[in-house]
Amino acid sequence: MKKTKWSLLLGLLFLVIGLVACGNEETDSSSEDTPSDNGEETEVEEVDLRVVTTMAGTDPAGEVFQEVLDDFENENPHISIENDSQSADAGTIRTKVNTDFSSDNEPDIMFYFNTVDAEGIIEEGKVVNLEEAEGIDLSGFNSMLEQQRHSDGNIYAAPQSGFYEGLFVNEKLFKEHGIEIPTTWEQYEKAIEEFAKTDIVPIAASTEDSYYVVEHYILAAGGMESYTLGLEEQDPAWAEGLENIKKHSDMGAFTPDAGTIDLALAQELFKQEQAAMIFEGSWFWGQLEEVGMGEDVTVLPMPVYADGGETGELVGGASQGWFVSTKSYEDENKKDAVVDLFNHLTSEETILKIAGATGQPPAKGELTDLPEYLKAGHDLVSDAPAVALPINDRINPEAFTHMRTSVPAIISGDKTGEEVLERAQKMAE
Amino acid sequence: MKGDKIYIYLFLTPAFIITGIFLYYPFVENILQSFYKTDGFFNSTFVGLDNYIRLLNDEIAKTALFNSLELMLYVTIFQVGIALVLAIMVDSISKGSGFFRTTFFFPIVISGAAIGLLFTLIYNYRNGLLNEMLVNLGFERILWLTEQSSLYMVAIPTIWNYVGFYFVILLTAIQKIPNDFYEAAKLEGITGIQKMFRLTIPLIVSDLKTCIVLAITGTLKIFELVYIITRGGPGNSSEVLGTYMYQKAFGDTAMGYGATLAVLIVILGLTLAFITNKLLQKEEVTY
Repeated sequence: MKKTKWSLLLGLLFLVIGLVACGNEETDSSSEDTPSDNGEETEVEEVDLRVVTTMAGTDPAGEVFQEVLDDFENENPHISIENDSQSADAGTIRTKVNTDFSSDNEPDIMFYFNTVDAEGIIEEGKVVNLEEAEGIDLSGFNSMLEQQRHSDGNIYAAPQSGFYEGLFVNEKLFKEHGIEIPTTWEQYEKAIEEFAKTDIVPIAASTEDSYYVVEHYILAAGGMESYTLGLEEQDPAWAEGLENIKKHSDMGAFTPDAGTIDLALAQELFKQEQAAMIFEGSWFWGQLEEVGMGEDVTVLPMPVYADGGETGELVGGASQGWFVSTKSYEDENKKDAVVDLFNHLTSEETILKIAGATGQPPAKGELTDLPEYLKAGHDLVSDAPAVALPINDRINPEAFTHMRTSVPAIISGDKTGEEVLERAQKMAE
Repeated sequence: MKGDKIYIYLFLTPAFIITGIFLYYPFVENILQSFYKTDGFFNSTFVGLDNYIRLLNDEIAKTALFNSLELMLYVTIFQVGIALVLAIMVDSISKGSGFFRTTFFFPIVISGAAIGLLFTLIYNYRNGLLNEMLVNLGFERILWLTEQSSLYMVAIPTIWNYVGFYFVILLTAIQKIPNDFYEAAKLEGITGIQKMFRLTIPLIVSDLKTCIVLAITGTLKIFELVYIITRGGPGNSSEVLGTYMYQKAFGDTAMGYGATLAVLIVILGLTLAFITNKLLQKEEVTY
């Protein structure tokens, strides 16, 4: 009995040793691949890179981006790239990136929000200052590059394209119902009133996920001057903007289940021509083109009624950029590959290729042969008296979540805009 | 006997290591994290009990807590209740029990996310199944997910999803009861209802207890159905602790406060499991 026991123990010990040995073998074999310090290498070393972007899911740039990576791999057979992209729709990309960076598993290159979301990563020195990084080519960018400049004076992200948000209007439905396209606040309210009498939902929106609605209503009530203020200013126009959402909801602006549907379902309402208007961003064109609606839709700036404000002022900018992680840049084995890939991704050719898929204004060069509706959007940006980033890109995430998730309570009358903003300000503190 | 101890340690060690690494270590880390205010993932400041004080004053957390408890009540009563009724009914039929067993168990194999999407499309106001049926029958559309109804509407798929699980446990328990008991009772002239209350249920009470504890503790883990169907809304009316913790920790990157909510969930789960065990303590039935 005792003998069997010890044989069993011994057997297990060998099994464990075997497993450990196998693990070591793997490490050994990988270390063989890494270059030695004596510089005697003659063969090109294999390099594995990981890239995280938001070009996935419903983003029409996803397919094009994969092609760009494939091209690069074909040109550089020693480099293999793992495309670890994830859609930006549900905001989980933020968690992924933060988790990756805080667990020392950062991607080599990422395309991420160069906003309040990247603050921690930048402050921790997890990404390189591109202007000082050897081999990085930042030439040829338009003004969007300057928009990436951090408060410390450095540039950590190189832009891909700009975006704008606005009021997407189904012209066909407006024409069919004989309603005027809303270019003023009065026309906008009139349009809500008129569509509410029909079976068409005036505005497709999720009031729980009310990012774009909140932003545009604040812009309309306060103009750009008020819009760009911080929460701490407690500008009354912000509360007024939130109250206007209630006012319009009472007029029948939204579908009755706006408090529980998500953005995707709101988009579906618009795409199925069951809603006449929707607040969205320039990335929405890709989806509209997929369902063949591009020609029927036009994008308008939010009608601003505030004194000192001007219709044409836009929410937009270039809030996403290409980052290079410090860890990869300082890794002698990876550095060249990372720099080459970065320069490839930010070359004019690639930028135009990706921007072509989304129809967004590129950070280098210009898109040609644009359909009329996309060109109108680009003109919106070039003609805008002022452009500012979305509110959630610059204020405390918890505070903004409170603002947007409180919209159903404002609509139901349980809270006022002022109360919501006061609470949000406390959260931000 | 003494020599066998080595086997006990030998075979328990891997389980201890795995639970230690994947359960207890993260839990201890989570408790530590709850004493910090985090801004994103990189800036943590020690704030002592501030997160717990915030929790006590947080109206949404209170709503989420009461919603979780309310949901727990519905889920426990209806999941285990319906499962018991179904199990007794299936046990009493001679033909087709295999079909019913499979049919009732089926929802278990569908992922919560798929069921969530299914019910989102059923409840949808404009194009949902229920409202399409109503419109076709000449009725007005109904708003199924309101502040008053959202919690009940979430409870329905939650109950449906897990009834099959308890059904199988209870059916197996019922089928383990020796036939002699029933035969003897039959000779005494027992009726169907009496058979259920005086014989079947008392004999499966330990399995029922297990089901109730599982249902109670399982409800605290509800996340995906609420998240997908109502997103906790409208206006936090269907927020449960799981969705609120997720929103705080991952949506708002307030990891410290999210960790505090996680501690609350664990304490609540342990307390409820303990209380249920105490209340349902009864001598085990053996046959």
